[in-house]
Amino acid sequence: MSTTLTTTAEASPAATIAPVRRRRATRPARAALYAALVALALVYVVPLLWALSSSFKDRSDIFAFPPTLWPESATLGNYTTLLATQPFWSWMLMSTVIAVVSTAATVFLCSLAGFGFAKYEFRGKNLLFDVMFSSMAIPFAVIVVPLFILVAKLGLANPFFALVVPWVAPAFGIFMMRQYTEQSVPDEILDAARIDGCSEFRAFLTVVFPLLRPAVGALAVWSFLNSYNNLLWPLVIVAEPEFYTVPLGLQALFGAEGRQYDLVMAGSVLAAVPALIVFFVLRKQLVNGLTAGAVKG
Amino acid sequence: MSTTTTTTSTATKLRSDQRRWAPYAFISPFFLLFTVFMLAPVGAGIYLSLTDWAGLGEPEFIGLANYSRLLGDASFGAALSNTAFYTLFAIIVVLPVSLSIALGLDARGLKLRDFFRLVYFMPVVLSPIIITLIFGLIFDGQYGLLNAVLEALFGFGGVSWLTDPMWARVVVVVLVLWRWTGYLTIFFLAGLQAIPRELHEAAELDGAGVVRRFFSVTLPQLRPVTAFIAVTMLVNTAQIFEEPFLLTQGGPGEATLSVSMFVYRAGFQRHELGYAAAAGVIMFVIVFVLGRIGTRAFGVGRTR
Repeated sequence: MSTTLTTTAEASPAATIAPVRRRRATRPARAALYAALVALALVYVVPLLWALSSSFKDRSDIFAFPPTLWPESATLGNYTTLLATQPFWSWMLMSTVIAVVSTAATVFLCSLAGFGFAKYEFRGKNLLFDVMFSSMAIPFAVIVVPLFILVAKLGLANPFFALVVPWVAPAFGIFMMRQYTEQSVPDEILDAARIDGCSEFRAFLTVVFPLLRPAVGALAVWSFLNSYNNLLWPLVIVAEPEFYTVPLGLQALFGAEGRQYDLVMAGSVLAAVPALIVFFVLRKQLVNGLTAGAVKG
Repeated sequence: MSTTTTTTSTATKLRSDQRRWAPYAFISPFFLLFTVFMLAPVGAGIYLSLTDWAGLGEPEFIGLANYSRLLGDASFGAALSNTAFYTLFAIIVVLPVSLSIALGLDARGLKLRDFFRLVYFMPVVLSPIIITLIFGLIFDGQYGLLNAVLEALFGFGGVSWLTDPMWARVVVVVLVLWRWTGYLTIFFLAGLQAIPRELHEAAELDGAGVVRRFFSVTLPQLRPVTAFIAVTMLVNTAQIFEEPFLLTQGGPGEATLSVSMFVYRAGFQRHELGYAAAAGVIMFVIVFVLGRIGTRAFGVGRTR
């Protein structure tokens, strides 16, 4: 892909000799564009603000007519009731511990495998890569039942095992890391490390891994969110309420006696905050890292 | 390092041996986990799908009976066609919408580009369960925000968003649109920004207008990223679970039931493990074959 790009560009000298300045859009067109972008932003922001404001309303006020974005009598009642009646912090702890451990393992294993695919030639490489890549197209629905049985039979239904171990080497992560390694780790650096007497694994740890930092950031956020937000598998595997994660807890709370929107909204806000913080801190890395592999194809 | 020639050559040999085995060692954790937690379950699922089993005692082999039962099961038919509808929507509507937004964001000299991008991208961070709960609040038939707004603006607000079969399906795809558009936009925008400006300029010199340039420069250049997104969306949307599960419990009736929900219900609520496995296998065949065709056709995942 990239080679064809450069040749085409070079083959059109006119472009380099006399660069045409692209005209900027006319003023009304520009205004319309901004209007559309702002309207779209509202489509994203309003529901979130609505949820935030609802979390400060009494249950009767949540559905009051006419709706008020600013709660008339703002109250922390939902939060205090939630925290008093539900083991919310235990859900958060469970979700966070599992997400952090999964993320650490995922980042390590995906970088290592991505490096293996990017920087070595070996017999069966293409076939193995194909198998790895196409595993992304295996829907969870086909494995959920047998996996549940397998995990239960092996006595591994311990949530700390079942929610972490099967998911720490996702194909998407390996693919992403391979793309990134290929693009940004020069062979020379690797060879230099080898000449210095580094073992292959040491070379990966000390020379390659530090170069992967931007992609690692993206993968870490991606992996954290996947684990933190997952519902179906915990729903299947976790039976005891003391091991509930946040999505499980919210799900149980919502399903129990008449849709407790007031408590559920307070819980959603509390649960979303850490994810949003991680996201805002690492947003650049996340966007660049996620898209790096896909653009080049 | 080593002073004598003999040790040097031993060291070199060690090195080259290591280089031969290292990549296998590096990719082995994936293949180990893949074999135990994916391949084996797929195999076990295929076997289970030929049995009748409630989880206790031995599975009873019943041949293809589960499959013929699935063929006649109206719920499964509904689940399949709903899921097909969600997936088609994701590809036919969400993809072009995302591309349009990316084109808008790619406009030269646009201010606040990063801000807009960030706002549209936010749903990616939120748990689907939270998104679904928020929209439950908005689409509630009696007291929801949307009906209240419609009532205030147009004087009618009686749309039963979640209890009317047609509207319930619309709401599910609106959630799909809301949740995924920003994510896909990021990819399209990255793709657009990677197109060398010279290509556009050359085409413009050749007299190509905006539309012509879009079709003969932009679209072809976006092919790899589009293919990647299309396959990702296919696989993701085909597995849709939270939205119908929480928003409508698959209803009204079975109007929004998805295949993942069907499998969950059959397997974990009715304990028909063999039957659930059979539904999973059909799902696997459809998604995997379509996914493979997609990746093959577009050459996704092959660099250079």
